[in-house]
Amino acid sequence: MSIILDTKTNRRTVLKTGAAAVGLLAIPSVLRAQEKPKEIIVRAWGGAWGDALKAGVADPFTEATGIKVRLDFTEDNEIKPKIWAAVDQGRVPPIHVNWDTTTNATISALRGATVDLSDLSNLKGLLPLAKPSGLEGYPLVNTYAYVYVCAYRPEAFPDGPPTSWNVLIDPKFKGRIALYDDGIGFNPISVIVGGGTFADIPGNMEPGYEFYRKLKKNEPLLGEDADFTTWFQKGEIDVACTISVNARAAKESGIDVAWTVPKEGCKVDTDGLWVPKGLPANEEHWAKEFVNFALTKDAQQKWCSMLGLPPVYPGIEPPADLVGDPSYPTTPEDFAKLVSVPSPVLVENQPIWFAKFNEIFQG
Amino acid sequence: MQRNQIIRTRLGWTLLDGVERLVSALWPARFKGSVGRVLLLPAVLLIGILVIGLGYMIEYSFHELDLSTYRLKDEYSLVNYAVIADRPVYMRVLNRTLLAALIVSVTTVFLAFPYAYMLVRTRSALTRKFLLIALFLPFFIGQVVRAYGWLIILGKQGLINSLLEGLGLPTLNLIYNYPSVIFGLIQYMLPFAILLIVPAVAAISEDVELASEGLGANWISTFRYIVLPLARPGLIGAFVVVFTLTLTDFAMPEILGGGTTDFIASAIYDSFFQLSNAGLGAALSMILVMIGSVIVAAIFYLAGTGTLGVREQSR
Repeated sequence: MSIILDTKTNRRTVLKTGAAAVGLLAIPSVLRAQEKPKEIIVRAWGGAWGDALKAGVADPFTEATGIKVRLDFTEDNEIKPKIWAAVDQGRVPPIHVNWDTTTNATISALRGATVDLSDLSNLKGLLPLAKPSGLEGYPLVNTYAYVYVCAYRPEAFPDGPPTSWNVLIDPKFKGRIALYDDGIGFNPISVIVGGGTFADIPGNMEPGYEFYRKLKKNEPLLGEDADFTTWFQKGEIDVACTISVNARAAKESGIDVAWTVPKEGCKVDTDGLWVPKGLPANEEHWAKEFVNFALTKDAQQKWCSMLGLPPVYPGIEPPADLVGDPSYPTTPEDFAKLVSVPSPVLVENQPIWFAKFNEIFQG
Repeated sequence: MQRNQIIRTRLGWTLLDGVERLVSALWPARFKGSVGRVLLLPAVLLIGILVIGLGYMIEYSFHELDLSTYRLKDEYSLVNYAVIADRPVYMRVLNRTLLAALIVSVTTVFLAFPYAYMLVRTRSALTRKFLLIALFLPFFIGQVVRAYGWLIILGKQGLINSLLEGLGLPTLNLIYNYPSVIFGLIQYMLPFAILLIVPAVAAISEDVELASEGLGANWISTFRYIVLPLARPGLIGAFVVVFTLTLTDFAMPEILGGGTTDFIASAIYDSFFQLSNAGLGAALSMILVMIGSVIVAAIFYLAGTGTLGVREQSR
């Protein structure tokens, strides 16, 4: 008996000693993996977007960890191939965290360029919106929703805000309307306002294309986020389909702009954060920590309040100026008034829609 | 004293002989003829890198994008070229770009010549300085900044429309259309054309013009039969440079075109970055390179490489 006990004790002792030795040997690599880099680089959008990320996430993260955060304002579409090339060639990618549209982030995930974020501690308890659809695990994490609203100059609408997207084909506003230059944010809406239904998307986009043909005759300006602000500021346009953040930022800077959700609804979408593959272990660790930090209540509250967008952290109250605003959906009923196209459908069809949009407007 | 001087001279010679031997050892006399070729090496290397990049682009252009992985398929195909042929929008954008390149090149050379002539021939130092400053100032202001400058001047609430409004006249749509892009491009290309024409005009001896006038030719005949033919290298060079720069321009149509007057460079950008379709972008780039090369080759064929001051092959 004692021999058996001794043998057991010996085996346990040996196992414990072995485990301790392995643990001791592993400590330097674990420590190395958590060694703080001097800075991490986060790709971001400029203007009001970048300001909100800096104040809401980047600065508090630096305070908490001592790691500087550098915001890189390279265009989201331009950073994409750079990251892909770095990952494919086994080089260190140019940024640590990419703040991206969910559609673009999903494309990067499909290419296998993203790190899995499933082990982030702050994912628990977030709204279902945070989980990317059609993908295994968390190759990206959605951080908030946003709406492509109908922004307008109140001076041009003395009888009240436009009630329908048909305002875009009203000859009264010829040459004074604007859309994104790839139709993003309006493609599904064009189908509905063109006489189709949500069920037509993506199988039958013809009603939308027909609406675009009418819209073209009204000579729209096509641009990017920054262009809309400039155009409103310089009095070039009266009405535009743009993200509510841009309209709100323009209003806050003194430009006379308001926004509404017309009866056909507005497209709602999400943005997210992801970490590219190929970073040194410690940098990847802290890049993931940055994403985790962005999902905390405080960070979500400040970041998203500044943007005026509903965060994925539950129970955060909207900013005072957006209470009851249809562009700030919080309940399932609010979301029901908006048009949401699943990311896999967008990823598969956006190139086709863009090609058609281009064909109509460049003709 | 004299002895010291002789020693110093001999020492100098010995030193020089040593340097000469060292140079001979490092660069033997038989290599002397290849000095020029060695100096050409960096340029050849740079062009070589460009050719390698072009090779990759040709390769990419034969691969279709797989939308399930957003990677180019391994199989070779002509799908991208078929897509370009199938979509009339690409032909329209290409025609728009070619027409703009032609209009901008002809107008710019036409406007640049008198400027260059004046710059070379003026006897007033003040005028020459003014012309030089006016020529070089735009170089310090980037293309994007200049395009935004035009927004301020030509916009709906810009300088010109404010003046029109002030005079009680209706405002005009001066921006976000094809003419405004052409206008912006001409303004951007003018200094390039002037700089290319100036050396050609400077190479024409004023005595030749005086001789022509002395023989009874009026200034139109002198210009037609003397100045213009002798300035041909500069005119052809300016035309080719402006044409190729316009053909590949991106910023001006993007900023002044309002999104609906894209040039082919915008279509290439969209394919690479917005659609993430490197195959389609590469195919469009190849078509642009081919068209540009064929047109420039045709110009040189018709005008002769001698027009650029390059020595033609002896016959």
